[in-house]
Amino acid sequence: MLAVVGENGAGKSSLMNVLYGLYQPDVGEVSVDGQPVRFKSPRDAIARGIGMVHQHFMLVPTLTVAENVVLGREPTRRGLFDLERAVSEVAATCARFGFQLEPRARVDTLTVGSQQKVEIVKALHRGAQVLVLDEPTAVLTPQESDELAHIMRGLVAQGRTVVLISHKLKEVLGVADRVAVMRRGRVVAEVRAAETTVEQLASLMVGEGHSARAAGLADLHGGIPPGAATARHEPASSGAARPPGEATPTLTAEPGSRPPGETSLAGAVLLEARGLQALGDNGRPALRGVDLTVRAGEIVGIAGVDGNGQRELAEVLTGLRPLTSGEGTLLGGPLAGLTPAQARGRGVGHVPEDRLRRAVVKALTVEENVALGRHTRPPFARGPWIDFSGRRERTQALLSAYDVRPPDPAVPLHALSGGNQQKVVVARELDARPKLLVVVQPTRGLDIGAVAQVHAKLREAREQGAGVLLVSLDLEEVLKLSDRVYVFFEGRVTGHFTRPEYDERELGRRMLGAGTGHG
Amino acid sequence: MAERLKAILPSVLSVLLALAVCWALIAFTMTSGTATDAYLQMLWGGIGNWPSFLDGAAATVLTRPLGESAMKAALLTLTGLSVAVAFKVGLFNIGAQGQMILGALAAAVVGAQLSLPSALHVPAALLGAALAGAAWAGLAALLKLYRGVHEVISTIMLNWVAVSLVDNWLVIGPLRGVAEAGQSITGTAEIQATAVLPRLLGDLSRLNLGFPLALLLALAVWAWLARTRPGFETRAVGLGAEAARAAGVPVARRTGVAMALAGALAGLAGAVLVLGTEGRYPGTLGAPYGFDGIAIALIGNNHPLGATVAALFFGVLRAGGTRMQLLGVHKSFPELIQGLALLFVAGRMVWLAVLRRRQASPGSGPAPAAVTPSTEAPRV
Repeated sequence: MLAVVGENGAGKSSLMNVLYGLYQPDVGEVSVDGQPVRFKSPRDAIARGIGMVHQHFMLVPTLTVAENVVLGREPTRRGLFDLERAVSEVAATCARFGFQLEPRARVDTLTVGSQQKVEIVKALHRGAQVLVLDEPTAVLTPQESDELAHIMRGLVAQGRTVVLISHKLKEVLGVADRVAVMRRGRVVAEVRAAETTVEQLASLMVGEGHSARAAGLADLHGGIPPGAATARHEPASSGAARPPGEATPTLTAEPGSRPPGETSLAGAVLLEARGLQALGDNGRPALRGVDLTVRAGEIVGIAGVDGNGQRELAEVLTGLRPLTSGEGTLLGGPLAGLTPAQARGRGVGHVPEDRLRRAVVKALTVEENVALGRHTRPPFARGPWIDFSGRRERTQALLSAYDVRPPDPAVPLHALSGGNQQKVVVARELDARPKLLVVVQPTRGLDIGAVAQVHAKLREAREQGAGVLLVSLDLEEVLKLSDRVYVFFEGRVTGHFTRPEYDERELGRRMLGAGTGHG
Repeated sequence: MAERLKAILPSVLSVLLALAVCWALIAFTMTSGTATDAYLQMLWGGIGNWPSFLDGAAATVLTRPLGESAMKAALLTLTGLSVAVAFKVGLFNIGAQGQMILGALAAAVVGAQLSLPSALHVPAALLGAALAGAAWAGLAALLKLYRGVHEVISTIMLNWVAVSLVDNWLVIGPLRGVAEAGQSITGTAEIQATAVLPRLLGDLSRLNLGFPLALLLALAVWAWLARTRPGFETRAVGLGAEAARAAGVPVARRTGVAMALAGALAGLAGAVLVLGTEGRYPGTLGAPYGFDGIAIALIGNNHPLGATVAALFFGVLRAGGTRMQLLGVHKSFPELIQGLALLFVAGRMVWLAVLRRRQASPGSGPAPAAVTPSTEAPRV
């Protein structure tokens, strides 16, 4: 059994898609049993005994297990579908490989774990010798994951080959024979699972010179640092019961007690929040009691691994996501019940993470997008009417100030590259002279020049007295720009650092939930 | 300007192609001479018989056909606007027919049951029709906003509800007109003389106030969408609701208002039919003007003025089409032309989407603005 590991975007899925015939290689070749082959489609790959279990299942929910398994090569009797034979064939395959599945059960009545088994049986039923599983445990409970590991070992014992794509290092080491590490589209190492450790794999995955991140990854993906062990396994309820001051010891620090330095610019409190709670898109709690403060004239960074409540915090502060509990004052008004229009009215600017969904309308022109959100005020409107000349003038000024190309206010926004679109968003939000600017992943996907420009503009906003809340998954960016950093883990603040006392190693631990012990 | 042309061209080509296909169909089943003659008859029947007028015939050979075309065009403009306005906020209003039925009924009731001076009676009947249409469309908007019911489903269903409610019950039951002088009448009671839309050319044609009213409304809708803050918000919601919400736009209100406006426009189409031509709510509306509105809006690129131009063109064709019968050509050809043009316009959308995907896959090159009706925004 071979495991392929690597960070997001390292090329694992692309490689597997080439194996399965979904992509054609530009250069190079694939060999099966020593023979070079060229798959034009998954059909060719199946014919050569390669089966794939996708991360997102490819099953018809309203059909039975047996119908799903035989779909595409149904047994027939006198030209009609022979359900009885399908059921008995599928039952035989299940028995042969030790799967416990009821062939007559409808797929939509099965658990996710059982649906995955159906996918595996489907591949085996088609005679797969090589089985590729793409992130198979991402959707499974720990118990189901253990069962899957057992199934995979069983298949290997029967002489089948299993290729497992994953970024859960600990799990990989527990089940695979060999591990291939991918980074930026290359296999950078291949090691025997028995002869390596989670830490070693992590540093291979991120490359040289990123020791702090490697440590973080190792912690995240398997190994648990001794100091963090208690925090990680603490039940959520007991965490919620802790007094906030204990969970986030430095938050209640008085203004005078902050060390002098770059934060000396900090002035009036713009945002004061206590015990914020909110649900995520999936309906589960995403914020579980967050306290934080942002002052005028400072950049406050939010660090954390993706999906720990940072995005939801930004949405709460911009009125896009309702609070379920907690209270706060934002620019002189209550935080509860905030609408997007109120947030803008009080002076909150927002550079959202998902630009095309949240920030711009790509079918509208550049100048219409510059007006969006401020279209009711001069110079964009005169009474109920749109002020076309005022809008044109202001847009042209911004386009040249931010070096947007092409500098044409009248083209649809989708004619601009992603970097230039982002410049338009940043230009618009800063031009509104926000008192508090909430920026999420402001430089993702930008080239180096644009990144430097955006960073300079954020600093400029701080110099001019704005408060900036910077959410980024790029720890380097957070540390470079921020005067203070809150660390988020599972919807809580697990650490608070003030420049210059940044300790990457400690920050990394906090990002994984080690929430106590730091003053 | 070049971009504007590029947006219009496909619609023009689709209409020309549809004209050519129908000409070929007539030529194939009859003779090519008949086909050409039939088209000429359709033209003279739509824009007036200029050759005989120049030969010295009375002015009515021009004014009668033009008046008929204008009245058809007024109805098509209003229902086309209805569909186009809903499109702008991102909704597909299939329900213009039902909204028009309710509007027509309201106009007939107000026109017949109230006694007011003419200066008040006509506006009151128009207002009643607009409100009835808006309420009917508003049902679909409420279902969408609060229950997540797709507007295509709800508006289709509401069409059937309108037919059952009005045609199959009210008009033959409680609201049926009383028979006069032993003659039984179909439909509701006749509207009072004070509620009749005034004719503009007296006896020269049936042209009435409905036509300028429709043109004025088209202009107003265009100005609202293109030049005002609420219009801008409406377009922003239609093209990117989530971004509009983040920008502080009241998305639900904009959606509701646009849908109500769409219903009001369709309701007014019903009023123009009842107050201008029929004089009562007839047994049924007679023609599916509401469904025609979908074709008009799409051929007109979902632009208020584009829809108006399309409505004028097809008004001429529809009014003139009856004259084709003089040559034994069936009068449904204008509808066939309209249907084919819609098909080609829709085909263009598919074609453009394929083209854009092909352009997008190589990546970098700045894509020339490929504009589909649903993404085209009126610019100034």
